[in-house]
Amino acid sequence: MKQFESLTGRSMSRRQLLTGSALLGGGLLATGLTGCGGAAGAASTPTINFWHLLSGGDGTKMQAMIANANNGNPGFKVHPTVLAWGAPYYTKLAMASAGGRPPEVAIMHASRVPGYAPGGLIEPWDLGLLAQNGITPENFAPRIWEKSQQNGKVFSLALDSHPFIMFYNTDIAGKAGLLESNGQLRDVSSPAEFKAVALEMQKVTKSHGLSFGYLNLGSQMWRLFYTLYKQHGAEIVLTPGQPMQANRDAAVESLEFMASLFDDTIAAKGNDINTGIAEFVRGDSGMLFSGGWELPTMKKAKLPVDALTIPTLYGTPASYADSHSFVLPRQLAVDEEKRRDAYKFVSDILKGSLSWAEAGHIPAYQPVVQSQAYKELTPQVHYANAAEIISYDPEAWFSGSGSDWQNYFAEFIQNVLLGRSKAQDGWDGFVGRTNDLLSRPNPV
Amino acid sequence: MSSSTASRQTSQARTTTAPGIKTGPSLRRSRDNVSGWAFAAPFLVFFLVFLVWPIFYGFYMSLTGKSLTGANDALIGFSNYSEAFADAGMWRSLGNTLYFTVISTVPLVLVALVMAALLNIGLPAQWLWRLSYFAPFLLASTVVSLFFVWMYNPQLGLINDFLSKFGIPKVGWLNDPNVAMWSIVIATLWWTVGFNFLLYLAAMQNIPAQHYEAASLDGAGAWRQFFSITLPQLTPTTVMIVLLQILASLKVFDQIYQMTSGGPGGSTRPVVQYIFETGFTGYRLGYSAAISYIFFGLIVLVSALQFVVTRRRSA
Repeated sequence: MKQFESLTGRSMSRRQLLTGSALLGGGLLATGLTGCGGAAGAASTPTINFWHLLSGGDGTKMQAMIANANNGNPGFKVHPTVLAWGAPYYTKLAMASAGGRPPEVAIMHASRVPGYAPGGLIEPWDLGLLAQNGITPENFAPRIWEKSQQNGKVFSLALDSHPFIMFYNTDIAGKAGLLESNGQLRDVSSPAEFKAVALEMQKVTKSHGLSFGYLNLGSQMWRLFYTLYKQHGAEIVLTPGQPMQANRDAAVESLEFMASLFDDTIAAKGNDINTGIAEFVRGDSGMLFSGGWELPTMKKAKLPVDALTIPTLYGTPASYADSHSFVLPRQLAVDEEKRRDAYKFVSDILKGSLSWAEAGHIPAYQPVVQSQAYKELTPQVHYANAAEIISYDPEAWFSGSGSDWQNYFAEFIQNVLLGRSKAQDGWDGFVGRTNDLLSRPNPV
Repeated sequence: MSSSTASRQTSQARTTTAPGIKTGPSLRRSRDNVSGWAFAAPFLVFFLVFLVWPIFYGFYMSLTGKSLTGANDALIGFSNYSEAFADAGMWRSLGNTLYFTVISTVPLVLVALVMAALLNIGLPAQWLWRLSYFAPFLLASTVVSLFFVWMYNPQLGLINDFLSKFGIPKVGWLNDPNVAMWSIVIATLWWTVGFNFLLYLAAMQNIPAQHYEAASLDGAGAWRQFFSITLPQLTPTTVMIVLLQILASLKVFDQIYQMTSGGPGGSTRPVVQYIFETGFTGYRLGYSAAISYIFFGLIVLVSALQFVVTRRRSA
């Protein structure tokens, strides 16, 4: 490596530097310097750019998983870029893909794929290459695998499913006499029973029975609504050029039930997501409706917490969820070597997703879910059944996690939940807004 | 050729060219022109690339069905405009923008004037007052929004907690459609009034002291002096502040997006957010460009009105 040291020497002339650089560059190109480790080896390592939207505890976990993948694959280096969740992330990804110079691999919510795949912003995965890396369709739960496809092609590879669930404080539930002999919360199967349980917990906390932060957050309102709506066995179909198809009675009943919870006894009339979580962590409520991804917050606060899927109140088990999924944004010119590395990287992350499960997500990769190590993870394993009853958002170019459509939902439903307007009016307003979107030209 | 060489040669030409030779001045002029253009070039390039070209391209885009996904950039005439004029969402967001502009401009000018006047009468520790009035203006919109989101929180917020001590029921500062815009105006006032205050203070301190001396000799009290000397002397500053404030308020976006995302019920969504949503999250760049040109027309109209009013006043 003497040659390399001389290149970095301070006394070198400009001409020497240029000549040296040219020689080194030529050498790198000609040989790939595979036998030369250290700094020169690192310079030749292809970089796989990877965009994701995972921050907080999720972000730290993902960073560790990337570091593991990098350590296990000296042939490439994954360089992550983290962007803010929601519109900032999805607009940047769409623009980068439209320009043809996006990252080699990116994370998307599975529910957003219908807005990206038809316009050619992402490319399908090659099942043959996946199989070479040990990833096959059998590795995924049927519902999740089905969701990964658009027009028969696999556009997204799910890392997880992250359902909207019910956390509960085991101390409070115990004091309220609501725990079964197995230590879990008593079964609840109707709206009236649910309210009775919440009121029992309120008697212990003297504050509220349930926390649910929703103010100014369409996604949060939508998660609970859609869970309850799907529990009616109802569907929503969004077809551009046609009015929205939905079951109005089921929607209104779900909304009325939600609104009835905010009576300042069962739940506070207006909590946003932060105050909702804070209330539950303080022990001022016995239950919290939120995403499984909040589990690290509860663990960090050393809260005696357990979790279940949202109880089936209307007959059909259902749980709103989405999946963080890997996608291949469209490249102007595909670098085949980098693409192969991207497949290897993604397969490594999937296989190592037990670590991801610690952040509260349900891994999509079934060998991990079936492993003994996962079965010992509590309370994750108590809501793992959500993967079988997942309800992804109805498909349209404008729907999905962090979409404007969820904000439009809030526009009409927040006042219903605050008791300022009727459930029928709120729902009809939302349907009207959706029909307006459906009647306009489809930009994808 | 370096600019110093160019100027040397130009000065040589000036000293050696005899009067009466026709080529001399024109050659000089053209050389002057070359160096003039050379100096102006960096700015001109930026001006053309980042302002003039986008203005024309944006208008062209508004005549197409262009999508963020790159699909359909064919010309479709003025149909985006006709769609926009029939779009209740656009009119509502334009209405919200105008409402915000009206209810924010008045306090932002009046409060700044009062603050400057208070300081101008000679309070002790002037630097402290100037700093406290102006400091919020230096904060990022995200920081300001976060402050106010917490203070406005109906359950844990400082403001409701304070009001509850007097038995006043909880106010949904950011979730009551009748209150939300006012809450945003209060936050904006706290955040940006310092800028107008500074302009007023500078203008007040430029009013000659003799005016006040003469007035007090004539027996004019403080109020009379304020209304008969200070205010009239501040007229040009007031006109400028009002114009700048109207334009700034028309462009409102950041704090609303961060505090309410345009809610509740779309009651605070400004037109800039509507443009952002249709273009970037709704992918419809052509349609979004059409709405921005309608909005641009409105701003030109407001500026023209302002120009006419001020010209009439100064004539």
